Parts: sequence; C-alpha cells; structure tokens
Amino acid sequence: MEAMRQEIILGSVFIYLLICIGVGLWAMKRTKTAGDFFVAGRGLGPVIVSMAVFSSTLSGFGFVGGPGLVYATGMSSVWMAVCSALGFATGYYLVSKRIRMIAEVRDTMSLPDVVFARYGSETARLLSAGTILLGVLGYLATQILAMALVLQSLLSGTEMFAEISLFTCVVVSSAVLIFYCVTGGIIASVYTDLVQGIVMIISGALVVITAAHVFDGGLNEVSEMMLAHDGEDIMPFGTLGMMASLTWFFLFGLGLAGQPHVATKMMMNRKLSDNRIILPMTVFGYVIAAMLWVSVGMVMRALVLGDMASPLGSPDEAAPAFLSTYAHPLLAGIVFAGLFAAIMSTADSFLNIGAAAIIHDIPKAVRGRSLNNELFWARVATVGLSAVAAGFALYSYYENDELVALLGAFGWGTFAAALVPVVMIGLNWKQASARAAVTAISTSLVINFSVQLFQVKIPYGISSGFLAMLTSMILFIGISLLEKPKPLPKDLDRIMEL
Amino acid sequence: MKPIHIIFILLLVIAGIIVFILASDPPLNAAGMAHDSVAGLKVGGNGAERLTTIGQAPFYFQVCVILLAASLLFLGVPEHRRDKLLYSLFATATGYALFVWYSLISSYESYHVTGVTEVVFGFPVPTNWFLWGVWSGFVMFDLLYVFAFRRYFLHPDDEKAFQELVTSMKTDGPEAGGT
Repeated sequence: MEAMRQEIILGSVFIYLLICIGVGLWAMKRTKTAGDFFVAGRGLGPVIVSMAVFSSTLSGFGFVGGPGLVYATGMSSVWMAVCSALGFATGYYLVSKRIRMIAEVRDTMSLPDVVFARYGSETARLLSAGTILLGVLGYLATQILAMALVLQSLLSGTEMFAEISLFTCVVVSSAVLIFYCVTGGIIASVYTDLVQGIVMIISGALVVITAAHVFDGGLNEVSEMMLAHDGEDIMPFGTLGMMASLTWFFLFGLGLAGQPHVATKMMMNRKLSDNRIILPMTVFGYVIAAMLWVSVGMVMRALVLGDMASPLGSPDEAAPAFLSTYAHPLLAGIVFAGLFAAIMSTADSFLNIGAAAIIHDIPKAVRGRSLNNELFWARVATVGLSAVAAGFALYSYYENDELVALLGAFGWGTFAAALVPVVMIGLNWKQASARAAVTAISTSLVINFSVQLFQVKIPYGISSGFLAMLTSMILFIGISLLEKPKPLPKDLDRIMEL
Repeated sequence: MKPIHIIFILLLVIAGIIVFILASDPPLNAAGMAHDSVAGLKVGGNGAERLTTIGQAPFYFQVCVILLAASLLFLGVPEHRRDKLLYSLFATATGYALFVWYSLISSYESYHVTGVTEVVFGFPVPTNWFLWGVWSGFVMFDLLYVFAFRRYFLHPDDEKAFQELVTSMKTDGPEAGGT
C-alpha cells in the first residue's frame, strides 16, 4: 500500500471534489430565490448548522498554518484554539438568538442587513459591507492560493502531472469552488460543510492517534524532549511569550462572534430552540479537529530538535511532511481531503457573504434598494469575486505578496475589531448608537490598515488586531454612553427584551 | 451598576495594563528569539527573564479578560430572566476559570524557580492547566447554556412572545413593528 501512497491521496482528494460537485448539482434544485442563495431560506437543521459553523471557523489555517506555528513557536498559537469554548459561547449567548429573530422579522439576508436593522444607519451598513468585502478578498485569495499550492504539490508527485503549473492548479481548484457555490449558493456551501466537517473531525482524531505513536514514549517523550531543549516552547505561552498568547486569546475568544461567515450561519437554523443542540456540537467538532493543530506541530518540532528529521523549508510544511512520512497512506488521503475540506468550507462561506455585500448590501446602502433579479446577480458576483481573488492569489505569488498580505490584514482581526462591538454588544444593549457603530468600524479599519501598511512592530508580540478590537470596543461603549439614548423601532425593542 | 458599565471599566483597566506594558522596555527575548542552528524555529529562552520588566501585569491582564468575558456573557441573558441562581452559576463558572488561571500561573512560576516540572498525560503540568483547564473553564458556560437553555436563554414565554411579534408583523405589516 505504501507504493500506492500518492495514488491513494490523489484518489481521496478526487472523490472529495466529486462529492462537492454532486452537492452543488443537488443544491441547485433547492435554490430558487436570493433568500435560498444567501441564508438557505432559514430552514436548516441543527446538525447542518453546527457542522457549518465549526468547519467554516477552522479554515485551512487550522490544518496547515496552525501546525506550522506550533512547529515554529511552540504552544503560543494554541491559545487561538483553546479559546474556542469561549468563542462559541459568546456567539450563542450574545448573537445567535437575536440575529435569528431579526432575520425572521426583518427578512435580512446578510450581516450588514442586521446592522442596518439594529442602527437604522445606511453608513453603518455600507461600512460593514465594505469591511466584509475587503476582508473576503484577502481571505479568499489566501485560501485559493493555499488550495492551489497543495494541489500542485500532490500532482507534481505523479509522472503525468509532474510539470503542472500553479496557474492550472488555481484554475482547477477555483473551478470546483465556483461550480458548487454558483449552482447551489449557501445551500451547497452548508451541505458540503457537513461533509467537510465530518472529514475534518475524522482527520483530527486519527492524526492525534498517529502523532502519539511516532515516539515510543508517546507525547510524554515529545514533551520531555522539548523541555530538554528550550522548555518555554512546550510551556503554556510558547516561545512568543505571555502577551502574544493572551492577546490572541482575547482576539479569537471574544472575536469569534464578529466573524461574518460565522454570524451569518446563525441566521439559517429552522428553529430558535435548535441553538441548544448546535452549541455543544460545534464545540465538540472544533476541539476534535483542532487536535491536529497541536499534535502535528509538537511532534515535528521534537523530531527536528532531536535530529530525527531534517529542518523544514517552511513551517507550513509541518503537516504535509508529517503526513507523507508518518501517516498511513489511507489516513494521509483522508487528511489531505480534510485539508481541502477545511480550505473550501471557509472559502465558500466567504464567497457567499462577499457576493451578498456586492449585490445586496452595497446597492442598498448607496441607492436604497438592492438589484433586480438578485439570484442571477448573486451567481454573477460569485464568479466575479472568485476570479478577482484568484487573480490576487496569482499576482501575490508571482509578482508581489504585499497586496494579499495587506488585504489579509482585513482578516479575523479586522472582522473582530469592526463587528464585535457593533454586533455582539449592539444586539444586547439598547443604548448602543449608530454614531458609535460607525466610529468603531472606521477606527478598527484605520488601525488594522495602518499597522499593516507602515509595518508597525508592537513589542511583546502583542497582536495588532487585539489593539484595534480593544480600541473599537472602548470607543463604541464610550460614545454610546455619552449620547442621549434614542428609541428603537418597536420590533427591535421587543426582540432585545427577549 | 449595570453589566455594560462593568464591561466598560474592565476594558479601560485592560487598556491601562497594555499602556503600562507598551511603555516598559522589552527584554531581548520578550517575543522569542531565532533558534541558533535550525532556521525557521524560535526559542523562548529564559522565561522568567522575559517578565522582569512587566512583572505580574500579564496575570492581572488575564484576570480582567476572564471577568470581561463573563460580564459579556451575562449581558446575553435577558434582564428579566436574571435571578439569584444565575448569579450563583455565573460566579461559580467565573471562579473556576480564575482558579484555573491562578493554578496555571503558579505552576509556570514554580517551573521558572525550580527548572523542573512533571509531565502528565503527555504535557508538562502548566501546559495541562492551559490545554484542559482554560478550555474547560469556558466549557462551563457552554454547559450552562445547554442545561439552563429554557430557563435563561429561550424561555417558553419569550419564544411565545416572539411568535406573537412575528404574527403581528405578518398580519399588520411592517407598521406593527415600526421602522
């Protein structure tokens, strides 16, 4: 079976991609309106929603970047994963019920719709849509690039495709993504998320077992070896130290509720009472899948420190190197499919909210109404957005990586900083004002963009996204407290009391 | 004092701690150093030395973050559903999260002093507090959500009131809600 390793891995990935295409075709029949395309007609069951929420939260970063960070810096980045219990708690305590209620009462299709419903401000809607669009472009470009690089590394190991170009891989991987997103919209996205979530959970569990058996003494031996070399790397704060770790905990733990691709999914469940089941299932799925993040990074670091493996060319090679050397070919096949699943489940969510920003939110904010025939234009926007993001991905790879890096800065940190106060606090505090919302979003954009543009180095590894989020939260509450409270529309007022 | 005021005060205290930290002179290995022979790897060096200029500031920072998180979650419970039992449950869960944090820091400081630590369940003791303790600290809140869902988060009366609102919006049009 070892001799067939490459074929098994490619076969697994191929089967997975076929499943995605099949789901897209099936979902096309169920997608009849823009509401179906963007929020699945608010008719999804708890299993689908929980898998969709967790799998779109844990992107390709969790499967490639996460193990790479543990390999390079020890336990520091694990704070991003350990905070998941808090992150999902904030999402369900503070956002899920009210966002779902507003969606039903106001027929909202996107997060900027909810922002407008809450604050009655077109400026707040436009700013939140603009933030989402910028963040989506950066995130999407990095996801497409990651997908293409993995595909290229797999195909180049075969005789037939040894010389395959990155451009071809970008086209192939984007084509599958576009196909099921365009045909089936969010319905295809969430049902593929179900498949993707299951693959990610199985991958996470099996890889931990494999990682624990690389050394005869199991993970105890891994820890002993790391303690003997540096020690700080296997301690709770890793090599980056306490403040880097703790500010990540703040940003990721309290910032999850502001992620538009996560919050939007909270509008899609059939019944409000399903949230009781969705939360624990989401937490469970995430923690199992995230175990891959910790175990693979630790084992690869110990192997390199103990001179049992060659140093990696780049930290991101930690997971692929582990799989190609230590995992059974079948497991490697499942995990590589899981890797595609992780990347695609996040990318399809971003495509959906990005398309909503283009054809629904921005036109509404600018001219007071959305486009006619939204379903058609949603599909056009999905193709256009994918093409632009793929273009960014190729440009960054061949010419200049600053553009995607700049847009990538509008990732998690900017979503958290811009949208957490506005959505998470604003949906639970009647006095929150539109002016405070506009100021919070604008300030977070300026801080995040400036830090990236001017390459500001913050001492102690403190996260710039954390600084932006802290500032926007203080400004949001402070300005709202200073302003005279305004009465809310009756329906919103009632919803915020329930 | 309302939860939002507590949240605001905690945010200001956190900002104050951050200003203090940023104003201090960071040691060379404050955010790690490059490994001397393996490219791409970082090492932490002397962990105690990294804290010489900021002392206990990170400890108090995280205490505030835990209290902030609990206050935010408390804000998510409808005001008319907050009863004495809820206060007790929140105090217990928050107390557990703070206890875990204290235990993590104590064991970490002890490692800095003695240079030794036990390895249990695959990880050093402080890391076990981190991986299982910090995570489980907030799982307590997740469990509270699951087991007290109908009492605090979606009371049958509130669900009924929402259905009435939806019905009135459908029969009377948007005017019922007012925009």
